[in-house]
Parts: sequence; C-alpha cells; structure tokens
Amino acid sequence: MKRRQGWLFFIIFLLTLSVYLLINYPLQLGLDLQGGSQLTLQIIKEEGKVTRDELEAVNSVIDKRVNNLGVSESNLQTLGGDQLILELPGEQNPLVASRVLGKTALLEFRTQKEGTSIDLKTLQLQRLTIKELIEQYSFAEKSQNDNNLKVIQEDLKNIEQELNYSSTSNDLYGKLIEIKKYVDKEITNLFIKTDLSGKDLINAGRRQEQTNSNWEVLLTFSNSGGEKFAEITKSIAGTNQLLGIILDGESISEASVGNQFASTGITGGSATISGNFSAENARELEVQLKGGSLPLPIEIVETNTIGALLGSKNILKSLYAAISGLIFVGIFMIFNYRILGFVSVLSLVIYGFFNLAIYSLIPVTLTLPGISGLILSIGMAVDANILIFERIREELYDGNTLTRSIDSGFQRANSSIVDGHITTLLSCFVLFLLGTNFVKGFAATLGIGVLISLFTSLNCSKNILRFFTTYQSLRQKDLYLPRNNFSN
Amino acid sequence: MKYNLELIKNKRKIIGFSTVLILLSLLGILYSTFNTSYKKPINLGMDFVGGNELRIERICNEECSNFSPDSVLENLRENSKNKNLLNNIKLQSQNNNKLISIRTPYLSIQESNNLITNLDNIIGPLNYESKDSRLIGPKLGKRLLTNCVTSLLVSLFAISLYITIRFDKKYALFALLALFHDLFIVFGIFSWLGIILSVEVNSLFAVSLLTIAGYSVNDTVVIFDRIRENLKSKKEGYNETIQLSVNESFRRTTFTSITTLIPLLSIILFGSYSLFWFSLALSLGIIVGSYSSILLAPSLLLKD
Repeated sequence: MKRRQGWLFFIIFLLTLSVYLLINYPLQLGLDLQGGSQLTLQIIKEEGKVTRDELEAVNSVIDKRVNNLGVSESNLQTLGGDQLILELPGEQNPLVASRVLGKTALLEFRTQKEGTSIDLKTLQLQRLTIKELIEQYSFAEKSQNDNNLKVIQEDLKNIEQELNYSSTSNDLYGKLIEIKKYVDKEITNLFIKTDLSGKDLINAGRRQEQTNSNWEVLLTFSNSGGEKFAEITKSIAGTNQLLGIILDGESISEASVGNQFASTGITGGSATISGNFSAENARELEVQLKGGSLPLPIEIVETNTIGALLGSKNILKSLYAAISGLIFVGIFMIFNYRILGFVSVLSLVIYGFFNLAIYSLIPVTLTLPGISGLILSIGMAVDANILIFERIREELYDGNTLTRSIDSGFQRANSSIVDGHITTLLSCFVLFLLGTNFVKGFAATLGIGVLISLFTSLNCSKNILRFFTTYQSLRQKDLYLPRNNFSN
Repeated sequence: MKYNLELIKNKRKIIGFSTVLILLSLLGILYSTFNTSYKKPINLGMDFVGGNELRIERICNEECSNFSPDSVLENLRENSKNKNLLNNIKLQSQNNNKLISIRTPYLSIQESNNLITNLDNIIGPLNYESKDSRLIGPKLGKRLLTNCVTSLLVSLFAISLYITIRFDKKYALFALLALFHDLFIVFGIFSWLGIILSVEVNSLFAVSLLTIAGYSVNDTVVIFDRIRENLKSKKEGYNETIQLSVNESFRRTTFTSITTLIPLLSIILFGSYSLFWFSLALSLGIIVGSYSSILLAPSLLLKD
C-alpha cells in the first residue's frame, strides 16, 4: 500500500513540476501562431553534395548579414544538409532580407585590359542609355503612355543590335534589366582579375555624397589588403587604364587613378565606391560586404508570411479545437465507463500538462501542425485507456472481484498497447527524419504524445484508480458497469 | 451489451463492397491521370509544384463592397510589369467579399509585394495583419514531392517489416492488404475531390497517409491479437472463433475510432483552415481503417 501511495505522490510531484515549468518557461510559438516570415534558403551546388564545412561557411555569412541588417529576434537554422531556414518574427518585411541574403556579394577589384578604352566608352554610354530607358519606363508605365513605351521599345532594339545580343525576357521591363546586366558583364570582361577581393575588407560603411543625393559605400581594407590596393592603384596610376569594382561578375563602378599616385599608389587602406547608389542599395551592399561573400550561391526557395492578427486567430482556433476535443472525449468516456471514464479524464488532463511541460523543456516550438499532432494524440492516449477498460469490464462480467479485474485488465492490455504505440512511433520517426520543417512539428508532438501516453495511461490511470478503490463507497461494481448491462 | 456481427454469412458482401470501393478509387486515379487538364493521379498542390498563395482580408466598415473577380484581375494585369505571369492567376473571395485569396505561379518576393500593393489600390484598404502568404519555388516543390514519397515508402516498408516479424505470414499478408486498402481508398477519394472540387493535396496529405498507416495497422493488430489468443484456447471452430473475436473487439475498435474522430472533428469545425483537408483525410482514413480492421481483414482470414 505504501508503495502505491508513493507512485501517486510522484505523479503529483511531476504535475506540480510541469505547472512550474510552464509558468517559468513559456511555450515557444511558431510563426504561424505569432505572425512573421520564414524564408527557406537553398544552397546551390552544381556538382556533388554540399559538405558540412560549406554549410557552416554559408551559415556564418548569412548569420552575419542578418545581424548587420538589425532584424530583431531572428532565428537561423540549418535544414537537411543544404538548406537554411531564417525566421523573422513580427511584421518585418522579408523583402529587404531576401535582397540582402540572396546575393553572393563577391567583390572584386580588377584592372582594365590595355587598349580597351574605346570598347569601354561605348559600353558605358550604352549602360547610361539603358539606365535612362529604365527611368523613362517607370514614368511611361505610371502615366500609361503607350507612345512613350513604343519609343522605349525602339531604343531598346537599337541597343540590342549594337550589342549583337537579343534578350529573352517576356516583358519590356525584364528585357531592360536583362540588357543592363549583360552590359555590366561585358564591361567586366574588359578587366583583368587582381588578388584583391572582398576577403581583404575589415569593414564597410556608407555615407551620402556631398554634391548630390546619391550614396557611396566606404571600404576599409585589412593591412595586407591596403598594401594590395596601393600596389594595384600604383600600377595603373596616370595611365588610361581604369580600376573596375565588380560585384558578382557585374561591374558597378569604374574609376581612374590620378597621376599623383604613380609613386606610392593610393595608401591609407580605404576606398569609396560611388556608383549612384540609393540609400537602400548602399545599405544592402554595406551589409553584404560586412558579412563577406557567400562561398556558394543561394536561392530563396520558399517564403511564408503570416500576419500577427492571423497568428493570434490561429492560436484561438487551436485552443477551441483542443478544448472542445478534450471535453467531448471526456463526456464520451464518462458516459460509457463511469468512474473508469472519470479516471481517464483525470489522466488525460495530466497527460496534457506533461506534454506541454516537455515542449517547454526540450524546447519544441509549437506550430499549427504541431498542435494538430497534440490534439490527435489525445485520441491515441484514450485508445490505451479504452483497451484497458474493456478488459476490466470483461473481467468484471466474468465475476471477478474489482481489484483483481483492475490488475489483470492493466496486465492483459499491455501488449496491444505497446504494439499500437510502436507502429505510430515508427511513422513519427520516419516523418521526423525525412519531413520538412512543417511536418517535423507534427511528428514531434505526436511522437512525444505517444511516449507520454505510455506512462500516463498505464501508470497514472492505474494509480488513480487504485487510490479511488481504497474508498469503500467507490467500490460498488455498478459505478464501473452500467447496471442494465450487468445482467448480460 | 454483446455484439453479433455475422461475419461468416456476409463474407462475400464485405469483400465485394471493398472491391467496389477500390475500383471506384482506381477509376478516379485513372481518370485524373489520363485527363489532359490534370495528368497526375492526384491534384498536386502548391507544396509540390511551386507557386504563390495569398490570403488577405479587406478592411470594411460594415459590409464589404461587391466586386467582380474578373475586373479585379483585369485591373491587376494593367498595373503589372510582368503580363505573362498573370495569365495563370486565380482570384476568389470568401466571407462576404471580405477575404481575398489569390493563386499564381511562382513569384519573387518583390513581385508578390507589388501584387499586394496593386490589389490594395484596387479593392483596398487591406488588413496586412491578416496576411497569409506562401511562396514556394518549383525546385523546392519537386524536392518536397520526392521527400514525401520516400517517407511514405520507407515507413510502409518499416511497418511491413514489423508486422512480418511479429505475425506469421498469413496474418501479416492480410494486415498489410487491409492497410493498402485503406490508403488506396483515401487516395482515391482525394483524386475524386481533386476532379470535382479541385481540392489539392500538399505535404500534410502525405503526413495524413502516414498517420493513417500507423493507425490502421494498429487497429488490425489488436483484432488479430485477439483472434490468435482465442484460437489457442479453441472452444469453437476456426471460423466461429474469428467471428467471436471480432465481436469481442468491436466495442474497443469503434470506441477508439470515435475518441480519435472527436478531436479531428473539432479541428475541422473550429481549427484553422490550413488544417481542414488534413483533418478530413485523417477522419476518412480512420473510418475506412476501422471498417477494414473489423470487417475486411478478419473476413479474409475466414476459410470457405
């Protein structure tokens, strides 16, 4: 008897502990419950698998960029060896993050090939024209001026002919952007690589130009980077060769180095890029350069955004679903099993608390699929109770005493219960290993639920029931079986 | 209360009923596969083919004004830079014109934002706090599909292995037959739903199939356990013992199905819309699963 009471105290202790945990370590809510954005970033590698080192390297660059962006409470984690998941809680626009994160941001400094001055001039002029066309396009688009659009189209065709390149985009705007990129790449081809790159930077900043409203990006080189920069500028100072600043294979700025630097090059370990940046663009480039370039390109393959209001609605709806599910299951059990049903309701409540406490302990981030896993596992937890109670009823029908019936009911239902839990656990395990983030939430809560229900439905129900049966008034058989069925 | 299901008498009817269900499912799957507008056994949703799904509410004082989806689309097209993309756009309104849902092929975040801004200009103001937007690239879609198919196959294999080890051959075969019967019928129902109501399946559907697999096997195992136990004590003939065992486990099986269906029903009724089809698939699976464990699988065990 003492030992049995011991179990009961243990259960009460665990229950108190769960409540304590839940109060002090509140549950973490997923983005579908609190609102926010989630970006899935896919690392692109043409051949072979992404190695662990590469994943780490990409992860750390992205992490730096996210931090420099100043988004609050963001969360970055790796998924399945070649994906990263970035969560931005609240009403933060994923657009800026996507622009900053998606670029490789490989910064290069190149020197112009000799004898390409004329080619470069032509290309620069063409670039200027395209930029103007792009500006004109947005005006024409806004005012719905079809004539202007036609003129732009004509101009674009001329440039395409000059370049001997035909664009493949479907719409005019896409074509303009495509041609601009093409020209930037063509310019890049007129330059030779040097050993100075974004790796030689220790910092980046931005400021507004004094003469106009454009922004420029400031670069600070490391010691060796500063020396390299001096060396390179020295080699082209006073010549008609230009210094090309190239980002991801597209030239963003070409600058001449004055004759006065011919003896020492540009020293001081810093440089500015002024390429007609808007405030936004300058900030994005700054963040990218500070984080360094990505060792492998990435692509944003999934974006989910949930508004905060919708999130809180989702919480309420899930709460309604869970509570009404519990209540109706409870009514069903008490109606069919009387005292036994009441015991199962008690152990279900305990079951709920244990589950939530485990979520806050591990911690499991609660999402919509996660909640549905929990709600579904309520049904499965009751399943074990039903198996046991049916056995107890059979034993009672056979005329056994209450204590004996209860003991053998629990004993004989054991193997079926364990079997059923194992098949469900198998499914959960596979889901957790192979599933997406979304699916993992479901698998985790269902799996945890199944494990906990092994304890609550076998141990808790048994001990609560035994405790009840110590009271003489609760030992009448008709409290366990509906009377009219008893005679059967 | 004793139950008396006449399994032996109705063996042919039960097997016939299941055959009809299977054939109907097969018909749906074949129709969907060979119909030129689907070309797939089941209507694959955005998770698997990529695309952009947006739901957002309008802010209205009392009642939201009426609008025609076609004219809104026309307006959106005029304001969009990418004309081609909007050829495949679908727009619906729900809740008395309050809730707008839009489906398009894959868009970049920038393009999606532009779409929302344009929408706001046409039928705004919109409540951005109520936004639910999903963008899935086509590459990820393919990957998710392979992922889901692999997890289904792996776990079916694992369950089969477990069953074969635990039971002898005949039992294992019939338990698995019942399992595939259940999965096939749920799959078939969703093929039909895809054809009739253009219901799409996403990764949660794969999850529901997996869960149904675990559940259905569990149900069958409990009944087979009972049959084995009773056959050992052998009071009556083989067929009669099977029938008796089924009747003994009837309450348990229906009760557990009911207690699992109750929470699922409450998700269907009160839960978030994103879980609606998922819970429905699970509910159907549980109903078909209990039917096959109580009636079909034991009937297959009966000797002529």
